[in-house]
Amino acid sequence: MSEATRKFFEALERHGHERLLKKTNGTIRFDLERDHEVDHWFVEIRGGVVRVSQQNRAADTVIRSDDAFFDRMVRGEAKPHPAWLRNDITFKGQIRLVSLLERLFAPPPNARHPRIAARDRGRQG
Amino acid sequence: MKTDLVRILDGNIFVLSDGSGDIEATPNVPTGYFSFDTRFLSLWRLTINGERVSTLAMDDPSYFEARFFLVPGAPTHYVDAKVSVIRERAVAGSFEERLTVLNHSGGPAEFTVRVDAGSDFSSVFMVRQERTPAGRLYQRVENGRLHLGYVREKFRLETVISTTEPAQVDEQGLTYHIRIEPHGQWTTMLHVRGLVLHPDGQDMRKHLTPPRQQRDTARLQHDLRQWLDKAPQLHCDWKPLERTYQRSLVDLAALRFSPLALPTEPLPAAGLPWNATLTGRDPILTSLQVLPFTPDMAVNTLRMLGIDQGSVLDDFRDEEPGKILREFRYGELTAFEENPTSPYFGAADSTPLYVILLDEYERWTGDAAVVREFEDEARAALHWIDEYGDIMGDGYVWYQRRNERTGLENQCWKESPTAISFRDGRLPSLPRATCELQGYAYDAKIRGARLAREFWHDPAYADRLEREAADLKERFNRDFWISDGEYYALALDGDGRQVDALSSNIGHLLWSGIVDESRAPKIAEHLLGPRLFSGWGVRTLAQGEGQYNPLGYHVGTVWPFDNAFIAWGLRRYGFHQEAGQIAEGIIDASRHFQGRLPEAFGGYDRELTRHPVQEPAANSPQALATAAPLLLIRTLLGLEPYGDDLVVTPALPERFGRIELLDIPGRWGRVDAIGSVTSQEANAADR
Repeated sequence: MSEATRKFFEALERHGHERLLKKTNGTIRFDLERDHEVDHWFVEIRGGVVRVSQQNRAADTVIRSDDAFFDRMVRGEAKPHPAWLRNDITFKGQIRLVSLLERLFAPPPNARHPRIAARDRGRQG
Repeated sequence: MKTDLVRILDGNIFVLSDGSGDIEATPNVPTGYFSFDTRFLSLWRLTINGERVSTLAMDDPSYFEARFFLVPGAPTHYVDAKVSVIRERAVAGSFEERLTVLNHSGGPAEFTVRVDAGSDFSSVFMVRQERTPAGRLYQRVENGRLHLGYVREKFRLETVISTTEPAQVDEQGLTYHIRIEPHGQWTTMLHVRGLVLHPDGQDMRKHLTPPRQQRDTARLQHDLRQWLDKAPQLHCDWKPLERTYQRSLVDLAALRFSPLALPTEPLPAAGLPWNATLTGRDPILTSLQVLPFTPDMAVNTLRMLGIDQGSVLDDFRDEEPGKILREFRYGELTAFEENPTSPYFGAADSTPLYVILLDEYERWTGDAAVVREFEDEARAALHWIDEYGDIMGDGYVWYQRRNERTGLENQCWKESPTAISFRDGRLPSLPRATCELQGYAYDAKIRGARLAREFWHDPAYADRLEREAADLKERFNRDFWISDGEYYALALDGDGRQVDALSSNIGHLLWSGIVDESRAPKIAEHLLGPRLFSGWGVRTLAQGEGQYNPLGYHVGTVWPFDNAFIAWGLRRYGFHQEAGQIAEGIIDASRHFQGRLPEAFGGYDRELTRHPVQEPAANSPQALATAAPLLLIRTLLGLEPYGDDLVVTPALPERFGRIELLDIPGRWGRVDAIGSVTSQEANAADR
């Protein structure tokens, strides 16, 4: 697996709760494909607390992606919902967890606070 | 949008056809079978022995069914009806059509029945344009079924057409060679499914849990009966009110759909045909209007919009943490990010409105658990107002898109590009802070304070919100007041100027309570004055303003929902007679649309046209307009929760005579409210 993937899941266990709603509950298994192999990551969220393991267990939602595309989502360069519509990733189970993913991945690179954006635009005239 | 098209719908799935049931889509006549924001049929044409059919009669027994009585041949003064066709269709999760051919002659007869079928798989956004598809279209016959398909990279859509009677199926349609006995008949059932394919070839919705309910016409009939039985009963001496109320209840049922994430919790799609989808402001404002009648819609709306609440900064989607979405779509343009609707967050009103709905819901239902369940979402929304809405750092809510290619320039409910303008028609600079946004922010803070104090056990936060609200009201009354016109500016612009056009937005300010008591009489006078009031209702923009156009979407037309909120606001400030006048005008207008109020109608003077002119591109049914008569009824009867009781203070114009609303649900159980012109006094009886 890629270094970025490993780092993402490690950070998720430590800091995931900071961006999740307290009431969030559920399990997600990520099946990440790479050279005809599949890495499994099992993420359990209970009351906003996140636990991560590499077990291949039944989950509320199973997300399948190739590891390169997954890394793009981790970096905020690709969004899960349109990727699911395009079949670049697939989903089985509870679709509400797609929206949850949006909270876990990084924001798109170069995203601006509206105040900064308005100020920059003002300068350009 | 041609208004004579036949529409049947099941939430966000619908069929638009011509009066014979045929679909022959063109940019000017955007008919079709639509689902998943995509057209799955753009051609559906019936011929008998090579002849097109003409319509003798059409009826639609329910919102999801239509029946056409047809004969072959062009319509002439004489119709030789040796043969006729009954075409019965329904949309219930998918599209079904029963064709019955009747032989009226004394001898056996042979017929060739042909159904031409095709699909362009156009996105609902593009149906009014000529467009070369980015992917590849295909047709295939397999096991007696016609598969029409579209593929672009790994994205695949398919329309699958099957028939119960044997047919010759080719890539352009189905042909039946039939023989019918004298005075006999022949019937086949056609079934059309619109599929969004997972890589394994199954519909991707098949992989979602909990599984979606099977939909069929029997279930929809049953649901509709239950829905109507649960709603309060209305009796009124003035029949147009009863008629529009019944029509609205049925249309609200029709517009309900269950988003993929919440398959058992329906909320209203925004409108047919252009907005048959999840949006932010439409279900919130609709739920607010229908709270006294069907409160469940509010909680489903809060839950769905909470799931998709913004969590990061994203310029493409104009997203910020805590923001409530504007629109969520599923089609090709969303998938390939040719537009930002995955979801798009370009709306500055939906976030404060979310908090307002949560509070109003509790006031009616007493459902404290919901207020606690959505505490995080409501706090994030309140935080959004100060941190991300306040672009200029001066305490007002502003908007300016960061997605300059496909984002929206105006992010209030009046979204069209010229909706926000100066008196002379010039457009203001960016960012813009429209006045009603400040009213919503004020109201959200006041209501948020109540929730914090009573349910979240956070009195310090409540105090802070109240201080901020009081401060906002004071500044607003100073900075937005136009002294020479004696009304509130439509907006402030990026250069700090008052955008000085006179608009209906000032009516929403009354609803929010941000108007100083001393100024309210002037606002009421403007709203009912000749420049804003057309005789039917309040125009979006006053006659005489540079951008005014009686048919302009947000610059002159009359919107029923806008008027319902204005009437509610007028009552809040004690202008009962003025509120009644607006209610009477809008209900009177509904008579010209068989009780179904359109999204908007022309702003012409009532004296000039005598009947209201439907805005040509309007959605119908549209959730906001559908709900408007219900809020008007609430306003006329003066329904207001007070503690655990429902207070009723009716104020009716003469014409209504007597209004009885029975079995109003709420924290009091069920209660009746009765108002009449003669007594004009409260009459609420506990059951």
